[in-house]
Amino acid sequence: MAKITIPAANIEFDCTNDTIMRAATRIGLGFPYECNVGECGNCRFELIEGEVSYLRANPPGVTERDVQRKRYLGCQALPQGDCTIKVSLRDHYKSKFLPKKTTGELIEAFDVTHDIREFRFRLSENAKFIAGQYGLITAPRVEGARAYSMCNTGEDGAEWHFQIRRVPNGAATTSLFDNLKVGDKVGLDGAYGMAYLREDAPRDILCLAGGSGLSPMVAISRAAAKSPALKDRNIHFIYGGRTPRDVCGEQFLKELEGYGTRIHYIGAISMPDDPSSAGWTGKVGFVHDIAEQVFGEKLGGMEVYFAGPPLMSQAVMKTLIKSKVPAAQMHFDQFY
Amino acid sequence: MSVSAQKIELCKTSDVAEGSAIKVETGDLSLAVFNLNGAFYVMDDTCSHGPGSLSEGPICGDVVECDFHNGAFNIKTGEIVEPPCMIPQKTYKVAVESETVFIEV
Repeated sequence: MAKITIPAANIEFDCTNDTIMRAATRIGLGFPYECNVGECGNCRFELIEGEVSYLRANPPGVTERDVQRKRYLGCQALPQGDCTIKVSLRDHYKSKFLPKKTTGELIEAFDVTHDIREFRFRLSENAKFIAGQYGLITAPRVEGARAYSMCNTGEDGAEWHFQIRRVPNGAATTSLFDNLKVGDKVGLDGAYGMAYLREDAPRDILCLAGGSGLSPMVAISRAAAKSPALKDRNIHFIYGGRTPRDVCGEQFLKELEGYGTRIHYIGAISMPDDPSSAGWTGKVGFVHDIAEQVFGEKLGGMEVYFAGPPLMSQAVMKTLIKSKVPAAQMHFDQFY
Repeated sequence: MSVSAQKIELCKTSDVAEGSAIKVETGDLSLAVFNLNGAFYVMDDTCSHGPGSLSEGPICGDVVECDFHNGAFNIKTGEIVEPPCMIPQKTYKVAVESETVFIEV
């Protein structure tokens, strides 16, 4: 067991078989982080005293400057004995439901599209979460955990459902898609993430998704649809794919009370000239362009949630900034 | 100055060496106070992109670089000079009186 001390905040905590950021988060501290897998660099801290090793060898988020300045990534840093560190804790990163490690048993899996499948796990111990958050899955015989957002709402935390897109030649998704059978178990850890539904935001909701960004946006829509605080709010969902076979999400919204009256769905494709797009009668364009076309100046008055590939997220963000959406009304996982 | 503007005292001018910055916390605000050639500028300390602290970033001319992700902002205007930052940094109107730095909010 190692003792971690943050002198500036007058805080000490134990860290056993865990990374420093995750141990801090599990006891309710606001240790900054985003991706949780050593890539984004938001969990940097300065090591004043002590020694750490890395969970993931050579995490890509480490820069040369970090090495020079004795800075480490909190999400991957395993203390080798007691450590004293410098980091600015912030309330924004505190968890409402403290993350914990559990085991998930696969109880069901079904295809959503040609490359997105929903996996449903029953947890060995309930772990509640807020819609929009993510969990870390450690798949059988795969080194290291991957972050995936849940698509269900987590009031009781008995089950976590994930809509996951297959990554060509990806070790984790190959294991999940090709080898995982009902009854098999995976390691789970969470929930994590700050891109969750804000029930206290008095604005209409816009969800923008592409790829496996589907999963958290479905969760946000489901939770918003049944939130008493949001009962008078409209929920708009835009999903973008390359060709019609990628477009999905409407089937989950149709199940919600209010679909067609206050819950609305738009599917769009970005490759109308592809032969497989023949016959498409829906919108054509990228999600950020569709959002701008449909909502224009109204965007600034909306609570906007978005998830998808990095290029999509960056384009969405540019559009939202241009449309004067205040930063506090944008919610997304800042994984880059 | 509008009637409702409020002045908040941040620090003494001598607290911030030329070409450097310090972090000042007051109320709910966490601010970076810069001294560029004897002129003072104030912006939010937390980078608009992530948890980086701009008062700890290297300064080059009118530009501060966030040492978390190497994004950069114009210290005088808050405008983005280098990505990955995409949201301009909030800046404050500064007043210096009796060798004390204030912001007007």
